Amino acid sequence: MSSSILTARNLSKVVPSTEGELTILHDLSLELVSGDSLAIVGSSGSGKSTLLGLLAGLDLPSSGSVVLAGNDLTALDEDQRARVRAEHVGFVFQSFQLLDSLNALENVMLPLELEGHADARQRARALLERVGLGQRLTHYPRQLSGGEQQRVAIARAFAAEPAVLFADEPTGNLDSHTGERISDLLFELNKERGATLVLVTHDERLAHRCQRLIRLEGGHLVDQVEP
Amino acid sequence: MNHLPLSRLFSLASRQLLRDARAGELRVLFFALLIAVAASTAIGYFSARLNDGMLMRATEFLAADLRLTGSSPNTAQQISQGKELGLDHAQLVEFSSVIASDTGIQLASVKAADSAYPLRGALKTAPDLYAAEAIGPGPKPGEAWAEARLFVALDLKPGDSIEVGAKTLRLTRVLTFLPDEAGDFYSLTPHLLMHLDDLAATGVVQPGSRVRYQELWRGEPEVLAQYRQRLTLEPNQRLEDAKDGNRQVGNALGRAERYLNLASLAAVLLAGVAVALSAARFAARRFDASALLRCLGLSRNQALALFSLQLAMLGVSASLIGALLGWLAQLTLFHLLQDLLPAQIPAGGLWPAFAGMATGLVALAGFALPPLAALGRVPPLRVLRRDMLPVPASSWLVYGAALFALGLIMWRLSLDLQLTFALLGGGLVTAFVLGGLLLLGLQSLRRLLAKASLPWRLGLSQLLRHPLAAAGQSLAFGLIILAMALIALLRGELLDTWQDQLPENAPNHFALNILPADQDAFAARLNALSPHPAPLFPVVPGRLVMINGEPVRQAVTKESQGERAIRRDLSLTWAADLPADNQLIAGSWWSDSNGSELPGVSVESELAESLQLQLGDRLSFSIGGLDREAVVTSLREVDWNNFQPNFYMIFQPGTLQDLPVTYLTSFYLPPNQEQQLVELSRAFPAVTLLQVEALLEQLRSILAQVTLAIEFVLLFVLAAGLAVLFAGLQATLDERIRQGALLRALGAERKLLIKARRAEFGLLGASSGLLAAVGCELISFLLYRFAFDLVWQPHPWLLLLPLIGALLVGTAGVMGTRRALNVSPLTVLREG
Repeated sequence: MSSSILTARNLSKVVPSTEGELTILHDLSLELVSGDSLAIVGSSGSGKSTLLGLLAGLDLPSSGSVVLAGNDLTALDEDQRARVRAEHVGFVFQSFQLLDSLNALENVMLPLELEGHADARQRARALLERVGLGQRLTHYPRQLSGGEQQRVAIARAFAAEPAVLFADEPTGNLDSHTGERISDLLFELNKERGATLVLVTHDERLAHRCQRLIRLEGGHLVDQVEP
Repeated sequence: MNHLPLSRLFSLASRQLLRDARAGELRVLFFALLIAVAASTAIGYFSARLNDGMLMRATEFLAADLRLTGSSPNTAQQISQGKELGLDHAQLVEFSSVIASDTGIQLASVKAADSAYPLRGALKTAPDLYAAEAIGPGPKPGEAWAEARLFVALDLKPGDSIEVGAKTLRLTRVLTFLPDEAGDFYSLTPHLLMHLDDLAATGVVQPGSRVRYQELWRGEPEVLAQYRQRLTLEPNQRLEDAKDGNRQVGNALGRAERYLNLASLAAVLLAGVAVALSAARFAARRFDASALLRCLGLSRNQALALFSLQLAMLGVSASLIGALLGWLAQLTLFHLLQDLLPAQIPAGGLWPAFAGMATGLVALAGFALPPLAALGRVPPLRVLRRDMLPVPASSWLVYGAALFALGLIMWRLSLDLQLTFALLGGGLVTAFVLGGLLLLGLQSLRRLLAKASLPWRLGLSQLLRHPLAAAGQSLAFGLIILAMALIALLRGELLDTWQDQLPENAPNHFALNILPADQDAFAARLNALSPHPAPLFPVVPGRLVMINGEPVRQAVTKESQGERAIRRDLSLTWAADLPADNQLIAGSWWSDSNGSELPGVSVESELAESLQLQLGDRLSFSIGGLDREAVVTSLREVDWNNFQPNFYMIFQPGTLQDLPVTYLTSFYLPPNQEQQLVELSRAFPAVTLLQVEALLEQLRSILAQVTLAIEFVLLFVLAAGLAVLFAGLQATLDERIRQGALLRALGAERKLLIKARRAEFGLLGASSGLLAAVGCELISFLLYRFAFDLVWQPHPWLLLLPLIGALLVGTAGVMGTRRALNVSPLTVLREG
């Protein structure tokens, strides 16, 4: 059995609100090994994105711990967590989140450069060719369609060969046909590169392409499926 | 929703505004307006009140706000008109008379004044010769005060009696300062001040005697203006106010006024930039709301009206508070300066507050119009498709209108069309030319981009993303740096120019009536006393009577300088060489033949202009009862501010030598050397020594005030500029926060973000500084040439501006976008 790449123990998140404290995540634990794929599903406000943020080290839990690739994220400051993310994590967002000021190639080069790769340009070019955008390297995000932008985002996500890839509603802003092709690409690449995939989605079909599925409701883990 | 009554729209707008305010949405625009209005109001009040204060100081040179002078008694009607208007009044009669004592006689300039004299400024006297002076009211009836030189000439001491005509008066004090005589260097005779009530008893003033009758007036400017309008002047009468009163002060005040106006204009420009930046953001943030309202059934005009109303409410409330803040700021400022300023400074009225508010509102209307118009055109479909932006406006027209409005405000504030055009025109031309160059420069940077390191690439790509916006931003920052540099530059140079006028050892004494026999001995004595005495100039008093055979009275207009010059004897001189500080502007200095049998004369250029003299004109002078003719061979510019003997007419050597002549010079005597002065005066009893220290002091104190004012105004402009800079950064903050969060999520460290920001803003600042340097040179050239009448020279230190700009904008940029550096990377998930 492979070693654990992402472990969450007793995660809780409490935020202040006008009616006192609000618990948006209740005592949640999970463990993922390399190559796993996990779908997090649930209705709006169930705590999906909060959990994703905590697992990726974008935010800190109120209690509990997250260990990612051997790093206890709760013990690190923001810059140290940023280094962990640069080294081990890739992201795909619902709204693509490309930098408008950089062209497709530069957007993909970005994580490689953050990690200090000398061959960033070649690797980025290869990845863009892999996602079918070899002809659009110098196009800016505004010159690309939604599907194309998400391909660039996927290329960027895999550029630094992350151990864990977090995807937040990756097909949420796309039509069903394009969404289908994007999720194919995502799973293909995930398989090719042996990354662990954590996917937040409303889309049950997409969720069921993952090996595991957890369902959240009001911040509680209500269902866990391991097909 | 076709019939949305105005009242509903109004309440909708106000509720929406309150919600926006609670959500912190309006902060930037509100504060930009607030700062803009506060700065222009404060500067407006400051310059208006300071100007009034300085004018008040200047009125001391007249001893009044307004002075009516005539060679016959001013009419009862003229006097009652002023009194009816409630103006304060003092009466003064001036004449020359022989003063007799037991030891001898001496010609003196006598002032007979009533108890109200002086209305402005103060008389200073000492109990004994060269004793400490004190301020107090004038002499009582039966008493007289005289200048030290009269005491010396007649060997008198305080307490002795003198006779003025048929009246015996007791000399009680030594007169050390008459406010309205401080500027009159050429008064040859010592002054004596007596009470007007004693005048009749002297019997000196008879019909036909040469007497100056003066009515002095003091009051509010509006009332004085009313009086001026009602007054009908006789041909032998003249009306003067502070600006005519003294040439040096007039020049200094004129420049100070222009400078302060310029500073307010800079503040107005900055206000425009600040409001433009934040109004654009206001609109962009409301695209969604606008689309939604259109979906909910609001017509385009209603949506437009709604946002216009919001802006208007915001503008009015920010302007009111801003004006109040500005008013408070200037109060504080005057409180800080109270030791230096006259005790009572006019309150300034409401005008500066209205002007400040109007500045804010017009700038808001002008600059918010294009983005606001765009709001009305937001397609309702944007609720479904967020990428749908409004159709771009034909902004040229709207911005043109905004600039026109701005120009109007500037003109209103400065009342100086030339200055407005110089500033606005210079700014516009600079903006277009340099903006275009900047755009080209940015585009060419793109090629360099590939080789740059990551922080540089991130920073530069941010600029290149919207080259037009970057060029605009660079221009805006450039404008701010330009305004600040220009103000700093002018401050330095104006002060230098003034200081040059009044060097530390400017001559503070004049020596007149030096007899030819004493000439060499006096010069030798003077050389021992004073480091650099001026040369001794021969003086022959003479009157200009004809120009080309025409009586001179027909040739000149009333109130002109020429009119003054021909009403009195001029000090005529001759010189082989052109005196220092004189500049030949037409004709040539003496040549052997001037094409005429007549001797040559060189005329001061302003007098020549006033008398419409040309080279070759024939001038006839009446000198001691003899007529002399000369032909104009050159025109000279004279620096009247240098406290050296200066002359309207300089004759060719050998022309006047046969006439009775005395010599004149000026010299600097360090303070506390009164004893030397007394000795000099005793050694050369015929020589008249004049102290002009008092005038110099008065001028220096005015200059000190102006200097201080300028430094404070510079501080205001600086503060406003910085505030605008931050407002500008705020405008791009949303995008930066998003970008910062994304980069953080992708694993970028804070250091990298800071470096990228530094690269971006440093470059922006450097280009702004470059623009500012070029613009500043251009505008300063225009201003010096056309507004300030100063000689322009290049300013190499302006090349430091790109560096200063990089540091300033770089630092402010990183600080102003701190929120984007510290933003939690989690926000990228929230924005989805």
